[in-house]
Amino acid sequence: MSTTTESRSGGGMSAINDLIVRIGRTVGGVVGVLYQAGRDAIDTVIRNILPFMAFISMLIGIIDKTGIGKGLAHVVEPLAGNLVGLLVISVFCAIPIISPILGPGAVIAQIVGVLLGKNIAEGTIPPSYALPALFAIDPQVGCDFIPVGLALGEAEPETVEIGVPAVLTSRLITGPLSVVIAYFASLGMYSGLGK
Amino acid sequence: MSLSLAIASTTLAADPTVEKPTGFFGALASAAEWFIGVFQDGGQNFVGLINGIIPTLVVLLVFVNTLIRLIGPERIDHLGEVAARPGIIYYPVRYLVLPFLSVFFLTNPMAYTMGRFLPEKYKPAFYDSSVSFVHPITGLFPHANAGELFVYLGIANGITSLGGSVGDLAVRYLLVGMVVILIRGVLTELITARMMSRRTANEGVAA
Repeated sequence: MSTTTESRSGGGMSAINDLIVRIGRTVGGVVGVLYQAGRDAIDTVIRNILPFMAFISMLIGIIDKTGIGKGLAHVVEPLAGNLVGLLVISVFCAIPIISPILGPGAVIAQIVGVLLGKNIAEGTIPPSYALPALFAIDPQVGCDFIPVGLALGEAEPETVEIGVPAVLTSRLITGPLSVVIAYFASLGMYSGLGK
Repeated sequence: MSLSLAIASTTLAADPTVEKPTGFFGALASAAEWFIGVFQDGGQNFVGLINGIIPTLVVLLVFVNTLIRLIGPERIDHLGEVAARPGIIYYPVRYLVLPFLSVFFLTNPMAYTMGRFLPEKYKPAFYDSSVSFVHPITGLFPHANAGELFVYLGIANGITSLGGSVGDLAVRYLLVGMVVILIRGVLTELITARMMSRRTANEGVAA
């Protein structure tokens, strides 16, 4: 008699216990995920984003104060201020010998992006060219990384051997093509903006 | 401030008389000022970048990281198997949906591991397609390639300082990027197929 009541009440208790444990575990799990997400975010900012900002800021300080910026603007204006110039840039970046050199870390594309942004701000390049310019400076993306990228996809050595020239050749066509597509996609954008 | 003014006035006073010591030290002082000015300028720019970009970026990164962890990146594995099928209707899956989701969930270097579900002949095209997406995606989802944000941010900053809103640019960059990766995937697949058949033909001749 007493044993049965004990076991029943014990069963009820354990059900409640289970529930509490489950709730605790779920909440703990969610909070853990959130916390880890926050930690990852701060880690990314400190490791990847702040160093690049520091380095870009130094370059901008030098470029602004030394007058290199004005000289560069004269070089950049005829190139980046019209479709033909942008096509020239994209073809240059896509040349199979040059593209793997320009690739690593997208550092060069990022510096050029910042320079073009400054020129857009100063009015030497019309803001409507922002979109085609983004594609003109980037046909070399990942060209330095093809063997590693393919290896990450568990490709055979023969595939890598063919894959490298295949991608590099393809860029020569799709690089300029992407600029043309972006040019038409940017029609009507920021038309009222700029000087 | 008063010190720099004093230095500036001595330089100005020293200039016309061309007195050597004063002129020399004056020149030194203005050179030093110019030198520090370079870094003050850079520092202001740095603060501008931090204030303008980091706060939103951190919160957005936390949100997307949480989302990815709750959904679980392993769920797109099945999509990789679907994308491996031959046939023209699977081209957009292979070179548009799969690269988009891989880059979004697995981010920059790990996205290329999704190529393991595809047959060898599609791997270079898939790599080409997904690597071409790591910059267009940063306009809206910077977590996907946080180390290479300035391709987009550099140019977008130009628009911001003109007083325009970058939303339009970010969306169009993403959409054009999607069109471009599809074209790139298809074209690279064709080129790979031609190169592979030429190689097997050559081997046949040699043997």
